[in-house]
Amino acid sequence: MLWYALRRLALFVPLILGVVAVTFGIMQLVPGDPAAVLLGDEASEEAVREIRRSLGLDRPWWVRLGSYYLDLAQGDMGISYFQNQPVADAIRQRVVPTLEVAVVALLISILIGLALGVAAAFWRGTPVDAASMLFAQLGVSMPVFWFGILLMYLLAIRLDLLPSIGRGPPLAGALGDAILGRPAALVDSLSHIAMPALTLGLTNAAVISRLVRSAMLETLGQDFIRTAHAKGLLTFRIVFVHALGNALLPVVSVIGLRFGALLGGAVLTESIFGWPGLGQLAVSAISQRDLPLIQGIVLTFAVAFAIVNLLVDLLYAVIDPRIRLE
Amino acid sequence: MKSLFGNLSLTIGGTIVLAVILFALFGTLVSGYEPEQMNMKDRFSLPSSDHWLGTDNFGRDLWTRMAVGARVSLTVALCSVAIAVVVGTAVGIVSGYLGGAFDLVTMRIVDVFLGFPPIVLALAIVAALGPGMLNLTLSLAAIFWTEYARVVRSVTLAQREADYVTAAVAIGAGNSRILFVEILPNVVGPIIVLATLGIGTAIIAESGLSFLGFGIEPPTPTWGWTLSYGTRYLRAEPWLSTVAGLAIMITVLGFNLFGDGLRDHLDPRGIARRIRSAPRQ
Amino acid sequence: MKYARMLATVGLTSLAATAATAEITRLGADVDSATMDPRIQRNTTEYRVNNLVYDGLIKLNADLQVEPGLAESWENPEPTIWIFNLRENVTFHDGSTLVADDVVYTFETILDPDLKARFRSLFTPIETIEALDANTVRITLKEPYAPLLSYLDMGIVSKDYVESGGDIQSVPVGTGPLQLANWERGAKITLEPFEGYWGGAPDTEGIEFVVVGDNTARAQAFEAGDLDIIQSPLSSQDIGRLVENTQFQNEILGGLGITYLNFNTAHPLLSDPALRRALAMLVDQETIVNAIYEGVDQVATSILLPSSWAYDASITQPGFDPEGAKAAFAAAGWTDSNGDGTLDKDGQPLSIVLSTHSEDPNRIQSLEYIQAIMLENGVDASISIADWPAFSEGVRGGQHEIALLGWLNIVDPDRLMFGQFHTGGSFNWGSYSNSEVDAHLDTGRSATEIGDRTAAYQAAAAIIADELPYFVIAYQGYQVFHTNEVSLTPDARGMMRSVIGK
Repeated sequence: MLWYALRRLALFVPLILGVVAVTFGIMQLVPGDPAAVLLGDEASEEAVREIRRSLGLDRPWWVRLGSYYLDLAQGDMGISYFQNQPVADAIRQRVVPTLEVAVVALLISILIGLALGVAAAFWRGTPVDAASMLFAQLGVSMPVFWFGILLMYLLAIRLDLLPSIGRGPPLAGALGDAILGRPAALVDSLSHIAMPALTLGLTNAAVISRLVRSAMLETLGQDFIRTAHAKGLLTFRIVFVHALGNALLPVVSVIGLRFGALLGGAVLTESIFGWPGLGQLAVSAISQRDLPLIQGIVLTFAVAFAIVNLLVDLLYAVIDPRIRLE
Repeated sequence: MKSLFGNLSLTIGGTIVLAVILFALFGTLVSGYEPEQMNMKDRFSLPSSDHWLGTDNFGRDLWTRMAVGARVSLTVALCSVAIAVVVGTAVGIVSGYLGGAFDLVTMRIVDVFLGFPPIVLALAIVAALGPGMLNLTLSLAAIFWTEYARVVRSVTLAQREADYVTAAVAIGAGNSRILFVEILPNVVGPIIVLATLGIGTAIIAESGLSFLGFGIEPPTPTWGWTLSYGTRYLRAEPWLSTVAGLAIMITVLGFNLFGDGLRDHLDPRGIARRIRSAPRQ
Repeated sequence: MKYARMLATVGLTSLAATAATAEITRLGADVDSATMDPRIQRNTTEYRVNNLVYDGLIKLNADLQVEPGLAESWENPEPTIWIFNLRENVTFHDGSTLVADDVVYTFETILDPDLKARFRSLFTPIETIEALDANTVRITLKEPYAPLLSYLDMGIVSKDYVESGGDIQSVPVGTGPLQLANWERGAKITLEPFEGYWGGAPDTEGIEFVVVGDNTARAQAFEAGDLDIIQSPLSSQDIGRLVENTQFQNEILGGLGITYLNFNTAHPLLSDPALRRALAMLVDQETIVNAIYEGVDQVATSILLPSSWAYDASITQPGFDPEGAKAAFAAAGWTDSNGDGTLDKDGQPLSIVLSTHSEDPNRIQSLEYIQAIMLENGVDASISIADWPAFSEGVRGGQHEIALLGWLNIVDPDRLMFGQFHTGGSFNWGSYSNSEVDAHLDTGRSATEIGDRTAAYQAAAAIIADELPYFVIAYQGYQVFHTNEVSLTPDARGMMRSVIGK
C-alpha cells in the first residue's frame, strides 16, 4: 500500500506540469493585458509598456513558462499582480474559509444523503421512497446559484434567522472555544456557514441519497436477508449495520469524485454569500488577469483534488480488504 | 419492480424532453411576438391572455423568449455533449485498446483536465475565446470529454480481454475492425446514458456561467441569462426568475429521468453510473 | 436562532479586546482593498480606507473645494512653482513626526515607474519636488498645470517606515484619524481611532469596511441590520425599496462620473459627425436613466458635469429624436433603398457594433435597449460583450466602433477632457482630432484664473456636443443609505470622514 501511495504521488509531477501548462496556454489566448488593468484607464501606452517590462511580461512565453516551473520547483508561486503579496500567502489566507464551507457541506450532504437513502430503501415503494427520490432528482436539477439566492431570501431576509452574508469567527478557533465552554463564537460561526454549506451540499446530498438507496437495496435483496425477512427477522441490526455498511463504500468513492465539484461549486456559492474564500479569489483573479494568482489557485485546486482522490482510494482499500490497489 | 421504475422514469422523462423540444421548435410560432420586441410600458407583467408567461424587464414576451432560450440551451447542450462524446470516445477507445505509453500519456492528460474545477476551466476558456454560443459550447465540451474518455477506456479494457475479441485477433482481424466492429458497439449503451445525463449538466452549467457574467451575450434570450437577471429583481419581481428557474429545473429533470430510464435498458450493469457519479456544476 | 445571533454578538463583544465593538460603524464595500499603500491605490475601497488612514497635503471637502490638510497654507509665486507649508507636530501612527522629506518621498516614488502607481499620470507634469526645510515643500512643474492642487489629497506615507522595510502593503502607517486594527482579507477591514491625531482624537469607535461583492446581497445585508452604511454602486432594483424604508436615511448627490458612448472617429462610417449625431438621436436617455438606472443618474446634456464650476446648462447634445434621426440619416445619404428594413448607402447596409463589458448588468441592459431602438430605426446594430480586460484592451487599441463605458473621479474638467479629446491624447481611443478643441484644452490646463479656465472648457464642450466624439448618456449619481444612528454628510467620492467628524 505504501508502494502504491508513493507511485500515485509520483504521478503528481506530470499532473502539476500539465495543469500549469494548460493554464498558461489558456491565459496566453485570453485577450486583456494585466498591465493595462493594473494601471486603469488613465494610463499611457508607454506606462503600460513599462509595467509589462517590470512584470516580466515582455519575455517570450517559453521563457516565462520555464521560469515559472523553476520557481515552482523551489516552492515559489510568484507574487500576485493585484493582491500585492506572494501568491502563496494570498491562497493561504483564503483556503481556510473555503475548506470550512466544503467540510461542513460534505458533512451535511452525507447526513442528509444517508438519512434519505436509508429511509428510501427501508420503506421502498412507499411515498417515503418516492419523496426521497424526487428530492434526489430535484437536487441535481436545480441551478446551485438559484437555490442559494432563494435560500438567502427565505432564511435571511424573510425569516431573519441567519446572517445574509459574510463569514463569522474562524470555525477551528470557535470549536476550540466551544470545547472550553464558550459556545457563542461557534454558534456565530456556524450561523454564517449554514447557508453556503447547505447550498454547496445540495447536489451532493441528492447524489449520495441515490447511491445509498441502490446499494442498500442490493444488499437487502441478497438471499440471506430475504430469508431473514421472510422469517420476520428483518431487524434494525440487519438494516442499519449490515446493509448500511455496504452502502458506505460507494459513498466514500463519491466523496472523492465530488470533492472537485465541491471546490468548483465554491466559485458560485462564495460569490452569492460574500464568502472570503478561494472561489471568489479565482473569479477576481481571472477577471483581472492576475496570471500568477490564477496559476496558483488552479494548481491548489488540482493538487487538493488529487490528494483527496488518493486518500479516498486508500480509505477504500482499508474499508474493503477485497479491493487490491494496483 | 426495478424495470417498472425504469419505465416510469423513461416515460415521464421522455414526455418532458419531448415537450421541451416541441416548445423550442414551435413555441415562437404560436406566441405572435418577436423575441426582441420591447415594450417599456409593459415591463414585468404577470401572465395574461396577451402574454402567456408575462413579460421581462424590457416588456418582451417571456413565452417567446423562453422558447428561443430553449432552442439555445438545447443546441449548446447537444453540441457540447456531442463534441465531448466524439472526442472522449475516440481517445478512450484508442487508449484502452493500445494501452502502453499512449494510454499512460492520454490518461495523464485526462487527469490534468479533471484537476481543474470545472467552472474555473469554463470561465478561463470563455474569457479566452470571448462569450458566444460557439465558445460556450467548446468550453463545456472541454469539461465533459474526460468523463467519456474514462468510461470508454474502462469498457474497452474489459472488452479487450473478452473471448470474441481474442478470437477476432486470432483470425487476423485488423485493429480498426476490432475497434469499430467488436468493441465500439459495447460502449454505445453506457455512452448514450451518460450523454443524456450530460445534457442536463450542460444546461445548468450555462446558467452558472451566465450568473458569473461569462454566458452568452444578450440580446440572445438564454435561460441562464434570464434566470441570473431575474434574480436581481427577485424582491420586486419574483416572477421572472421563477419562470426561468423552473424551466431549467424541469428540463434538466426530464433529461435526468430519461437518462435513468435508459440506463436500465442500455446499461444494466451500471457502467455509466459507476464512473459518472453526478453532474458537475 | 434570533436568540443565537444575539448570544453570538454578546459573546464576541466580551471576547474582543476593545470594548464596545457593537458601536463600530459598519460600511458595505463592493471590493476588498488589495493594498494599504495610498500611492498605488486602485479601487474605491482603497481610496476610502486610505482617506481615513492617511492625510494629503490638501483635503477635498464634500463640495470638492480645496481645504488645508497637512499643508497649512500654500503659495503659487509663479505658474510653475507651488510652495507648501506643512503643519507642525503631526505624528504618524508609529509615533514618528511628519517632515517635508516624507512628502517628497511620497511623490518621488509615485513618479518612479517601478512603483506601478495607477495615478502616476496625474503627477507627471511635476518636474521636481524638494524639501526647502523640515516643514516646507516646493513643487516645480514642467509647464503650468492648474488641476494639480485638487490631486494633492494623495495620502502621505512615512519615508522612514517604508524605507526601513515596513510592510506598508498590509500594515499602513499614516497620519490620519483612524488606524488599522485588523484586516481579514476578502472579508473586512477594521479601523480604530488614532489617539495622537493632529486634529484631536476622533470621537468614534471606528469604522469597519465589510466586503460584499454583489450589489444586491450588500443591500440585503443592510436591510437585515448587518451593515450601517451602503453606498453606490447599488443595484437599481433595490433602490426603490430602500428609499421607502423609513428606518433608513438616504441621500443622492450628483456624482463625479459619466456613462457615455465612445464613437470611434477612425471608423469609416463613424468618421462623419453627421452620422454620429444621427445615431445619437436614437439613444433614449430618459428611459435608460429612469427605467434602467431607476432615476439615480441624471440625463446628461454635455461633457461638463453639473457639479463642476465649468458647467453650462446651455451647452447641449442632440436629444432622443427618431424622426430627426431619420431625416439626418437621409441627409447623409442613408435610406432604405432595397426595402429590407435596414438603411443603406451605395449598396452598403448601415451596420455598426455596440460594445461594452460584462461586469455591469446595467450597462449591458442600456446597450440592449439602445440596440433595440437602433434596429427599429433601420440601423443594423449588433452587440459585442467581453469582460473588462478584453473589452478595454479593444477600446484602448481603437478596435471598437461604438463603446459604452464610463469615467469616474472627475474632480477637474481637465481629467475628463485633456487626455480624452486632445489630438493624440493618452485616452483618445476614438482618435478624435480638432485643433480648436486642442487649443481650448491647452488653455484650460495652463490658465491660472478660474474664469479663463471656465471659458476654455465651455468652448471645448460646445464643440464636443456638436461633433460628438463622446455622446454622454448620463451623469452618474451617487447615493448613500445609512441608519439613523449614523450622522453623515454625503461626499460624492464616497469618503467617510464626516462619519467620524474629521
